[in-house]
Amino acid sequence: MITRLACLPAALLVAMTARADAEDFEGQWTLTLTDAKRELVGLLEIEKHGEEWRAFLEGGPARVEIDDQRIVLWADSRDVRGFVFDRRMEGSLAGGTISGRYEQEGAAAQRESGGPWRAERYEPALPDSETPKPFEISGTWTATQALDFRKYTMALTPAGEEWLEGYMPYYDQPDVRCASIGLPALATYTFPFEVIASENRLTFLYEYQEKVRRVWMDGRQPSDYMPPSRMGHSNGRWKGNTLVIDTTNLERTVRDFRGELISENARIEERYTLSDDGSTLTAVITVYDPEYYERPPVRRRQWKRDDGAEIFPYTCDPDSFYISMFEEGEMEMYIERADRRF
Amino acid sequence: MKRRHPIGGVTCLLSATALMFAAAGAALGHHSFSAEFTAEATATMTGTVTQVWFRNPHVRYLFSVRREDGVEEEWDARGSPVVWLARKGWTKDSIKVGDTVTFYGYLGRDGRKMLSIMTVTLDDGTVLIDRVPEDAPSESDDY
Repeated sequence: MITRLACLPAALLVAMTARADAEDFEGQWTLTLTDAKRELVGLLEIEKHGEEWRAFLEGGPARVEIDDQRIVLWADSRDVRGFVFDRRMEGSLAGGTISGRYEQEGAAAQRESGGPWRAERYEPALPDSETPKPFEISGTWTATQALDFRKYTMALTPAGEEWLEGYMPYYDQPDVRCASIGLPALATYTFPFEVIASENRLTFLYEYQEKVRRVWMDGRQPSDYMPPSRMGHSNGRWKGNTLVIDTTNLERTVRDFRGELISENARIEERYTLSDDGSTLTAVITVYDPEYYERPPVRRRQWKRDDGAEIFPYTCDPDSFYISMFEEGEMEMYIERADRRF
Repeated sequence: MKRRHPIGGVTCLLSATALMFAAAGAALGHHSFSAEFTAEATATMTGTVTQVWFRNPHVRYLFSVRREDGVEEEWDARGSPVVWLARKGWTKDSIKVGDTVTFYGYLGRDGRKMLSIMTVTLDDGTVLIDRVPEDAPSESDDY
């Protein structure tokens, strides 16, 4: 009995420590990771379900192990050559900040040096001022490689997972056959684009697939007869000095390089901000689509103002795509998979 | 007048890369991976260009290679979109049918005779760079 009583404070202490740990790691964090060439930023969410820790980066699941104040995270990504790899982040929590080092794991065309990472408590931005303070967005913008984690797997609903089963990007992605990739993918591609601001709209001229996009600043809605499309209908508004663009009236199509679906009820929100010196444009692009996503997937992009940049023509011809399949004897297979394409 | 991309220092990268041939004759089933190519295996191959598609969404060169046993093989090299290459001065005239060139790139999966181009060395020694791992990439996704 005495032994048991003597143990009680220790047991309580353990329980309290465990609870304190959970409180420490649980919640939303802003994760910043730096390699030799660039800095990536993402929203990290850590949750405890019973005894199990779960983590999500930019809306997609990340494997996590937590032991006392130590943490290891694995977040997958896909480089532009199509190779999927992990970033392994090992660190510890001290003074309300998680910090450590990360390494790239797995073969990738885009090699990263590894480097430090840290996570600070996510501070929701103060509510945007309702007073519009538009910035000068007219001009030509060229992409940097900063910010975007390009998270590979996302938290899909069973319907979203079911679609992805057997999806083959090389055959099925719209742009391999020169069909419109649409939004949100177009806004995340790293080709230059030009913006022209006029009285009631912003016109985006994208180099990729030579797409023209009208972002209506006067609140207008599409007519009842406007067919849904991959570019959808975009309404923009200034909330303080943030340009918020909402896009709806979308067609069912793929969201991204992995071929995950977005439904016709999806809403895409893009939030554009400009650096104080006017040189750097940043976008946070979030897809709200509970039909296919348990959590909204997030992409981040950054561009530099480059008014000397030229927008090149983008003539596209799927000739070699089809000929290649023909030569490989794959046409029948391709035609059979017509239900995988939009 | 051809504009070519004068970059030195790439030859050591080329010579350091093992010449690898993926197992030929592997079953050419459906592609079961997200990429057609593998990041684990690269190859450097010299051959004669037989067909050129200098078009978006990706440029493509067919070339024939004479193996050590004398057998001619046709290989398929794929590169970036035209706009990406054009910004580097790599035009439709940079590589023509009949040219002898050396491709360096990632091998196709499942033994496919395909290369995803990183660089091309012309017979006069000029090195055209599509993308190399040391670059931060800046173009659309490959599938």
